[in-house]
Amino acid sequence: MESLTAIIVGVLVAASVYLMLAPSFLRFLFGLILLSNAANLVIFASGRMTEGAPALVPEGASAPTGVVGNALPQALVLTAIVIGFGLLAFTLALAFEAYRRLRTLETEEMREAEPVEGGEETRA
Amino acid sequence: MSWLLVFPIAIPFATAVLAYLWRNGAEGKWISLAGSIGSLIASGLLMSAVLREGVIAGQMSNWDAPFGITLVADYLSAVMVVITAITGLATAIYAMGEIEARLERLGYHALFQVLIAGVTGAFLTGDLFNLYVWFEVMLIASFGLLVLGGSKAQLDAGIKYVALNLISTLVFLSGIGLLYGLTGTLNMADLRGAVAAVENQGLVTVIAMMFMVGFGVKAAVFPLFFWLPASYHTPSFAVSAVFAGLLTKVGVYALMRMFTLVFVGDVGFTHEILIWVSVLTMVTGVLGAAAQTDFRKILSFHIISQIGYMTLGLALFTPLALMGGVFYLVHHIIVKANLFLVAGVAQKLTGDTDLNRIGGLYKSSPWLAALFIVPAFSLAGFPPLSGFWAKYLIVMASIELQAWVITFFALLVGLLTIFSMTKIWGMAFWKPHPDGIEPVPERIPAAVRIPMMIPIVGLAAMTVGIGLFPEPFVQFAEVSAAQLLSPTDYVDTVLGVRGMAP
Amino acid sequence: MAEDTDPNAPWITFAGIAPAAITAALFVWFLGHAPTIAAGGSIRWAWDWIPSLQVTLSFWLDGLSLMFALLITGIGALVMLYAARYLAGHKQFARFALYLFLFMLSMLGLVLADNLIALFVFWELTTFTSYLLIGFSHADPKSRRNALQALLLTAAGGLALLAGFILLGLTQGTFEISVLNAGGSLAGSAWYLPILILVLLGAFTKSAQVPFHFWLPNAMAAPTPVSAYLHSATMVKAGIYLLARMHPSLSGSEVWLWTLTLFGGVTTVFASIMALRQIDLKQTLAYTTLMALGTLTMLLGGSSGYAITGAMAFLFVHSLYKAALFLTIGLVDHATGTRDADVLGGLARVMPITALAAALAALSMAGIPPFLGFIAKEVAYSGATGSPLWPLVILLALAANALMVAVAAIVAWRPFFGPQGRLPRVPHEGPWAMLLGPVILAVLGLAFGLLPGLAALIIEPAVNAVMGTPDTGGRLKLWAGFNLPLLLSVVTLALGAVLYLRHQTLRERIARLEARGPDFDAGWDRLLEHFMAVAKGQTRIIQTGRLRDYMFVTFGVLLAAIVSGLLARNVGGLELALAGLSVREWGVAGLIVAGTVATLLTSSRVTAIVALGVVGIGVALIFIIYSAPDVAITQLLVELLIVVLFAVAALKLPMLDREGVQRHRPLDAVLAVGVGAATTVVLMLVTQAPFDRRLTEFFEASSYPDAHGRNIVNVILVDFRTLDTFGEIAVVVVAALGAYALLKGGRSLVRRSGDAAEEENK
Repeated sequence: MESLTAIIVGVLVAASVYLMLAPSFLRFLFGLILLSNAANLVIFASGRMTEGAPALVPEGASAPTGVVGNALPQALVLTAIVIGFGLLAFTLALAFEAYRRLRTLETEEMREAEPVEGGEETRA
Repeated sequence: MSWLLVFPIAIPFATAVLAYLWRNGAEGKWISLAGSIGSLIASGLLMSAVLREGVIAGQMSNWDAPFGITLVADYLSAVMVVITAITGLATAIYAMGEIEARLERLGYHALFQVLIAGVTGAFLTGDLFNLYVWFEVMLIASFGLLVLGGSKAQLDAGIKYVALNLISTLVFLSGIGLLYGLTGTLNMADLRGAVAAVENQGLVTVIAMMFMVGFGVKAAVFPLFFWLPASYHTPSFAVSAVFAGLLTKVGVYALMRMFTLVFVGDVGFTHEILIWVSVLTMVTGVLGAAAQTDFRKILSFHIISQIGYMTLGLALFTPLALMGGVFYLVHHIIVKANLFLVAGVAQKLTGDTDLNRIGGLYKSSPWLAALFIVPAFSLAGFPPLSGFWAKYLIVMASIELQAWVITFFALLVGLLTIFSMTKIWGMAFWKPHPDGIEPVPERIPAAVRIPMMIPIVGLAAMTVGIGLFPEPFVQFAEVSAAQLLSPTDYVDTVLGVRGMAP
Repeated sequence: MAEDTDPNAPWITFAGIAPAAITAALFVWFLGHAPTIAAGGSIRWAWDWIPSLQVTLSFWLDGLSLMFALLITGIGALVMLYAARYLAGHKQFARFALYLFLFMLSMLGLVLADNLIALFVFWELTTFTSYLLIGFSHADPKSRRNALQALLLTAAGGLALLAGFILLGLTQGTFEISVLNAGGSLAGSAWYLPILILVLLGAFTKSAQVPFHFWLPNAMAAPTPVSAYLHSATMVKAGIYLLARMHPSLSGSEVWLWTLTLFGGVTTVFASIMALRQIDLKQTLAYTTLMALGTLTMLLGGSSGYAITGAMAFLFVHSLYKAALFLTIGLVDHATGTRDADVLGGLARVMPITALAAALAALSMAGIPPFLGFIAKEVAYSGATGSPLWPLVILLALAANALMVAVAAIVAWRPFFGPQGRLPRVPHEGPWAMLLGPVILAVLGLAFGLLPGLAALIIEPAVNAVMGTPDTGGRLKLWAGFNLPLLLSVVTLALGAVLYLRHQTLRERIARLEARGPDFDAGWDRLLEHFMAVAKGQTRIIQTGRLRDYMFVTFGVLLAAIVSGLLARNVGGLELALAGLSVREWGVAGLIVAGTVATLLTSSRVTAIVALGVVGIGVALIFIIYSAPDVAITQLLVELLIVVLFAVAALKLPMLDREGVQRHRPLDAVLAVGVGAATTVVLMLVTQAPFDRRLTEFFEASSYPDAHGRNIVNVILVDFRTLDTFGEIAVVVVAALGAYALLKGGRSLVRRSGDAAEEENK
């Protein structure tokens, strides 16, 4: 399954790169969601994948019986998902505010901080 | 012992909470100030412990490395923590004058303190995934600070800054996953041995390159620095000062840590690439600065150029070079933060940061002029200021290796730095104000001016102090470099081989 | 300058008097050591400045440094006194005095330092203080430009010098000059040539040798006391000092001889011709200074006792008379308001003392007996005749000296004794504080000439220091008999007289010639323009201001980094382990890919959000199938939140494509597929390598017994890796605060000022 996951990750990454390079910042956000998913899958797959055996210690035992899913990457992915969500939420708010004030989400037109040369004179 | 490692992180966090609760009153700034003083004391205690005992480590939640998360301070970490606290205190004082109540009510001080906590955490953690977490803490706080106030330029800058930094973060995160997949561990000290034991060393090199890209964006090396000049000139000056001082340095620190501790198996490839990346960073940064006519934009591009010197120190990978890199790191934080602080005062006095629209500061505000000269010429590597010794070490390291091309560029970039520092000097200070304004200090109310000037004076004094008495700093950098190049102490302390305090 | 000056302000102020007094005290102190030094002794004082780097703050007072120290403090005290009166009432005089004083200390440090790095520190400090002094009239753009030119040019040389010093120190194992010199010539060392070139670059820029000369005449933008002190008597001689100081180590080779002779010779002749060309008397003097620097370099190219004695004597006397002349020009300027050689005339009646000083100084400059200038010239001619390159050196020296005779007449004869000119102001004699300096210096030129033994007390120890071995001495004589140098002197005077009489015609001719020759100064401006063009061009290419470009490069670099690693290093073969996967796995994969493709292709926001949801669910399914139920639940929860957030926010955002259809971007697609494929390859390679589960095994074993939890993932989060969880919570909280501040802050900003008002502010 790791190989298939690797292929899925590749597809996700390729799609997110393409989306992030799009003119609209909204597509960047879509790409960001996909890329976060891809990164989480990288961690998950890197810890190797075990089918159908959650990392639980059964009642009455002091350790899991048999091979169970690798718990550490799961914990890492959990952290990463939550952090990724926080970042995404902020970025969405930023896009929202930017659109409200700049009236565009086309990154080509976002030239406030680095104005087109000569543009400053026309503004003044 | 481990409390010494926790306090520098915990204090700013606690301060953030309190500052947020009291954000609507005048208490916020005083809480922030008190917290910053507390952080400085805590980091000073940590430093003295490190000086006394060498590397110290603390296992969080009492789980031994490599199973829990270890906080660890060697010389490099300790000095970065101290310098972070100093920069934090300086900008906290400055903010008392600069930051308006409107921004305070939006939570400026809390965001600022979280930023400091994140930066400190990144310097102290001994765990790779935990490093990612601190990066994120720092990043989200920096997002908030960058766009706080919400001018159009800030929003535009924010979009670029956020976009590029998120990409770098995800590259870094994936890199952690892959490295874990290859070694089964996350503890950085443990990784040293584990990475060396990996059979497929070629793959380690590939992952090292991913880390270089991820950290390279954070450190703003060529050609990954775009986010920096796109954004650093837009937020309030206190924010750009603390960004300029600290954020890229976390990237440099991470490169220094990972490429001395973990990724040392293929120096001929990774570090060789880093050498030329560094040289290009130095050159493109300084040329970028020369092309600007805005006070802060010039300074921003200079950050990039100087990051090149620091990564060069790492890339050359000799004791002398790393020593130079560490020295440079420390010197640059003080100097660069200070220059941004000066820019803020200059802006308040003259009404702008566009050098074409300002002037007259030399005549009307001679003390500000003197306080600009010190960091500016230190940055340009003029003796006997701190920047000279930093440059001296790097140049000497290049000459020692008989790396003539690198030596040439290291010197040339120094010259070009003089060029753009004197450009600011000539246009903002010497040239009369185009509108005939006399930018006398009294144009700023004393309640604003005094808090803004205190840190400028303090940081300038440090620049001169390091310049005149560099020996302890040189010695420190020497030990620091030695620890980086042969991290036996670091590894043993973290993994508990060496006797540890309970 | 006028509006900055308060004419009623007293000139005797702390800033006016204290520096001069301290400097005078230093002069006396150094003079007190003269007997010891003359007796062959030396004084050394050292402090371990940076022992780790072998940098000591070591000072070494020997003959050479004593001569310089006396000149620096002696002339310094007089110039500072002069300046206090010259700039009396100027609003920025205190700064000026400070800079001048700091310069004096730096210069003193430079000539006393025995450690290469310490010397360099002082070297750069003189550059820096001189930058501030040249730019004194900072409101004038020309002044700023010239200050910058001097700074950049000398700093560039300084950097070469630094490299040379480091190389010298690293290869020779010491940074102490006295130790280096004691070891004799390094001409045999493999590193000799690079060291020499680097050091000479430093010396030649500082001492303004052609082609680095042009900053010096421009530096005359500084007030006259600065010109007299820095750009004539002291700082510009730092390069000469360095050549003299390093003479024992670096001379003794053909390269040294030829380089110094040629550069010095060319500078000498070029500068003397240019001196004739000038109308502004200060510029005339500037070029004669240049000429002197050339001559000194040329003489130091030699190694004979005569050459070195000539150099040291000439250096000494030049400092005296040139400072005096500059100061008299300052007096004239101060009194008449002009420095135009064609306007000035007949001033001797109203300014007798100034005229006397100028005349004495000029006679010394012209090399008329019994002035010290004559003796110096004689010895220098002796040195020239003894040079291995004597025909060249004699010719160059002769030409230069003759021109100097002419120039002496121009600056000292015509303004004072020539026909009355039409002056902008009614002239008057200068105040005593300004007369003291030029008179003392001019008289010294005569006194030392009459008593050459006295001058020898200072000059001969310097010669010994430069030679590295005790010299025979006794060469400084007023009457050395009928010999070739005397003949040359006579020829010089005759030639000089002819040149003076014809100087106005010559000036026009030189002006015409100059117009055709290379203009170094304009070349400098062009160089800066080119540099700016390159800087702007590269920045426009790199920092385009477009996020798309930034991200394209970033992803491109990422791809390049991974691929370079994959190609450069053997990473082993790739094994496509897809066999044995059930329909369920393929189904999930299909779901994710379908959602991804739909996100890619759609131009509808709703479709995209739904498709993203599908991807999220697909990923959650992977987690469920592969034993990660907690992760799956969180994933689904977050996915739901994202959909809600997007539903709230994104639908208020603009359409994805303004034209309604998505443009195809083949280049982006190539890059995207590249990055995707690279990730796949790396991840496959990693997962196919052996895996070390020891961390997980530890967690599995101790989760329940030690941490009392049965859900190992949860135990890791809340116990083993608490700090991560703590940070994670912090991120989410701060993200919420930040987003809140962003949205609220923007709103309040708009409410307060209104978008339109803000637009205007921008």
